[in-house]
Amino acid sequence: MNDELTWIVQAQNGSDEAFTYLVEAYQTPVYNLCYRMLGEPEAAEDAAQETFLKVYQNLARYDRERSFATWLLSIAAHYCIDRLRRRRFVSFSIDEDEETPVELPDRSAPDPEAETMRRQEQAHLHQLLQSLDPTDRAALVLRYWNGCSEIEIAQALTLTVPAVKNRLHRARRALAKVWEKEAPRARTERRPHESPAF
Amino acid sequence: MNHRPFEDWMLEDQGLTPEQKRDLQSHLRTCGQCAALAEVSLALGSSRTAAPTPGFADRFRVRLAAQRQAQRKRNFWGFLILAISVTTILSWLAWPILRVMLDSPVNALSTWLSYLLSLWFWLQALGQAGSVLLRVIPTFVPPYFWPLATFALAGWSLLWVLSIWKLAKIPQGV
Repeated sequence: MNDELTWIVQAQNGSDEAFTYLVEAYQTPVYNLCYRMLGEPEAAEDAAQETFLKVYQNLARYDRERSFATWLLSIAAHYCIDRLRRRRFVSFSIDEDEETPVELPDRSAPDPEAETMRRQEQAHLHQLLQSLDPTDRAALVLRYWNGCSEIEIAQALTLTVPAVKNRLHRARRALAKVWEKEAPRARTERRPHESPAF
Repeated sequence: MNHRPFEDWMLEDQGLTPEQKRDLQSHLRTCGQCAALAEVSLALGSSRTAAPTPGFADRFRVRLAAQRQAQRKRNFWGFLILAISVTTILSWLAWPILRVMLDSPVNALSTWLSYLLSLWFWLQALGQAGSVLLRVIPTFVPPYFWPLATFALAGWSLLWVLSIWKLAKIPQGV
């Protein structure tokens, strides 16, 4: 039995200490998903805490045959989707003065200028994410930030694999459309075809 | 402008041959839409993870304790409201009896005693009738009736247990 499963079993038997280990192990992926979904650090903190409360309350129903990470992220994604649907008609803005979350540093960053540019690009991408449909956004975040496979995303969002593929394509096309409109200047500074990736 | 197959190549994240890479690069120089898609793909590929501020697990522990406290409070108030409601309803239902009891306790007591006595006599009569029937019935019923009745009763019980078991079979899992 691995460490994670031991913690899960102990937490299912009522050990708060074991559940705290699980919270410490998964706080970053859950928080990151909530932050990318909701766009605001405070809302993300609240959603992540609520997710862990829901997990705590429903831990007895967790099927040990399934991946715990997928089950946990599924609860977080559904919670954020519900929250976004509830506040659909309430407008919000990403305030520059708000307390921003800790972005994990990129140790492979070559120089400060490139690092600054990448930060700006990431902030822009984060802002653009908020324009997407909640489920499309969840699929995209699970794929690119949490590194989930299409099968895992399908399990987490209760979709079929072709539907996930379709949503990922649609989301990326939508992002590209807004990106093209909003950042024509940035594109002239760094052409993607100059990157070794293409 | 025709974006095929370049758009598909980028969306599928598939490995490209050197020739395909060359074709894609020359297409990206002339197509703004595909260049934007490529930039988005690059940005997504290098996306960073946002971590919560330190002390997340401690804040969770505090929240969990507060939630438990709130749950205990809810349970207490729920029990209190239920107890008050039940007491009120029972008092309302018992009020006519209580009123008679309070008005003339001797009369109420004698009425109850007479009720108890009549119940006692009624039960005694029922017992006597039962013993007479038990003595008389075996002379009318053929001997093979008893095994048949036992068999039918057992079959009916089995059917009942099976139906309950089938109804109780609910799919498990989240």
